[in-house]
Amino acid sequence: MSVEAVNPRAGAMLRPEPWYRRMLGDGTTVIVAILVVLLVVFAATQSDALTQSVLTDILNNSLPLALAAAGGTLVVLTRGFDLSVAGVVSLTNVLVAVHAGDGPLGALQGLAVAVAVGALVGAVNGVLVAYWNLQSIALTLASMIVCSGAALLVLDAPGGNVSDFMVYDLTDRIAGTVPVALAVGVGVYAVWFLLRRTDWGIRLYAVGADETAAVLAGIPVRRTKVIAYVLAGICYGLAGFMLTALTATGTPNVGDPYLLLVFAAIALGGTSFAGGRGGVAGSMLGALTLTLLQKVLFSTGVSSFYTGIFQGAVMVLAVVIAAISARFSSQGEARS
Amino acid sequence: MSAETRPGTPVRPADTRGSASGRGLSRLDRDLRNALVLFAVSIVLIFASRGLGPGFGSLAQIKAILLISSFVMVVAFGQQMVVLIGGLDLSVASMMTLGGILAFNWIGDSSAALVWGVPAILLVTAAIGACSGIGISLLGVPPFIMTLAMGIMLYGATLGFTQGTPTGAASPMLSALFAPTAIGVPMLYLMVLFTLAGWFVQTRTAFGRRLYALGINPTAAYVAGLPVRRLTIATYAISGASAGLGGILLVGYVSGVTLMMGQSYLLPSVAAVVIGGTSIVGGRGIYPGAVAGAILLTTLSTIVSSLGIPEGWRTIIYGAVIFVALVLLRDDLQHLLGRRRRKPGKD
Repeated sequence: MSVEAVNPRAGAMLRPEPWYRRMLGDGTTVIVAILVVLLVVFAATQSDALTQSVLTDILNNSLPLALAAAGGTLVVLTRGFDLSVAGVVSLTNVLVAVHAGDGPLGALQGLAVAVAVGALVGAVNGVLVAYWNLQSIALTLASMIVCSGAALLVLDAPGGNVSDFMVYDLTDRIAGTVPVALAVGVGVYAVWFLLRRTDWGIRLYAVGADETAAVLAGIPVRRTKVIAYVLAGICYGLAGFMLTALTATGTPNVGDPYLLLVFAAIALGGTSFAGGRGGVAGSMLGALTLTLLQKVLFSTGVSSFYTGIFQGAVMVLAVVIAAISARFSSQGEARS
Repeated sequence: MSAETRPGTPVRPADTRGSASGRGLSRLDRDLRNALVLFAVSIVLIFASRGLGPGFGSLAQIKAILLISSFVMVVAFGQQMVVLIGGLDLSVASMMTLGGILAFNWIGDSSAALVWGVPAILLVTAAIGACSGIGISLLGVPPFIMTLAMGIMLYGATLGFTQGTPTGAASPMLSALFAPTAIGVPMLYLMVLFTLAGWFVQTRTAFGRRLYALGINPTAAYVAGLPVRRLTIATYAISGASAGLGGILLVGYVSGVTLMMGQSYLLPSVAAVVIGGTSIVGGRGIYPGAVAGAILLTTLSTIVSSLGIPEGWRTIIYGAVIFVALVLLRDDLQHLLGRRRRKPGKD
């Protein structure tokens, strides 16, 4: 049996839908709309909103969350939850702060450490979830706690030594025009864009949509899951690395807020928590939205005390809008 | 494959055997056995810690452990009810903080205000919990997202309304719950009562049994005519109320309040439920298990932290315990241990 037989998107691919249905059925549309509204409000309330430096700043601030959310999305697509993100971001942050050397080569060394640790944790999570049938929420809760403990062993208080190259060059613009953060974000998306067209990418959606059907179709479900967790771990490691550049220091509990923010970004981006639907682009834009929302609330003079109310409301709103608009598309009806 | 059974997918063979063929009792037996094993492990740990230093394994230390675990235990009740129907409540941290702040503000140092204050606070937190339940059951927002958003909104709201600094005082009557009296610490009796009441609600009332049915197979529960939406809303309301109660009690214990006071109870509430043998996908587990899980976690962290081990290692041990519990609670391992249970088919 071919892979397409279990891919819920296959039918839709054969018979193109009208553009408006496709637009409404795609979760990314909602997040782009919210993002545009926020940008307009931001530009209207703050005079220097559209300058290069302000935009670079926003991209820099949202990149670590965007990377982490991109990773989390892969696991959510398999119908799992990966809470280990908080621990891995903290752990890689302190590891990079302690082990990265000077200059581009030193940064590369830090990057290697971060990515290796992320991949290792992801591999452990993936193998235990896929082969031992442990429940992903519970297992990754345990691995998150273990990683945060390990982070405390590396650095028990904020500190470390981050090179000038990481602090300045990695948060700057390439040749004065393209922000490095944008380049990294687009690069990660490009990898995903290619990956989802591979066998693994198609299997990932099939596994999330209906695991039993995927097994029956002969898909190596376990291997597909393990790869998803490993890639997710690598994304968390990248996030920890970029966060170190952004904060210029190693803080053992810096990843804690990511536990909730990552899932907020994924939900905003229209990825279904029932698995099998959504994508990395939405989650990364969701992360950008959460960061921009904070800026907009600040620029419109809303007390920072109330930021949380708006963040939560936007999250629920995005999910409800996505659910309603999904009903308009036949694809949504089929999946309901 | 039974890795991630979610509502809407066919149930695992173990579940259908447990419920459909009148084997419900034996499943409860298993859950109770798990709970008793956890209690036993806690007791062994406490006695094993004797000789590590002065005060280890003493009656005073046991009392302290029980009192500290009471907050996790109370919050874990609501968390477990939600997990039983296949959900998760991430708003318990903010809900607990809200309960604490309201107790600090509404009840203050008056003992008379307790009479209306506690029910009023529980009503407020239950109502907010019910809002999550409505979002989940009527709007179809996933529990994870709904309660996460509710938690974030609640945190923003408490921050805004208190302007960062809550005012009030801790009620002496609440503090008295944790003070030793001639017949022992009142809170210890309350803990026993609470455990038995929670267990009773789960296993001996129609409401409780319906939650298991809903958790095992939502579709079947709906077809069988269970009021799925009302049950869901009520469950999240209960979770809100028990987190609120946890906050009220915490104010009595620490005699103060902070805007982050609930934060350190979110993960332990989930961990206690998971360690206590509750399946995170719903339909299995009993409250004494979660209580035992809460006590075990507190025992462990108390002993480990009084040993002077660095915090990093303490955290790692904490995570490792959750991991070990998960492995030991694996379905197939349980099947091997259980009588007359065949190994699950190849998956």
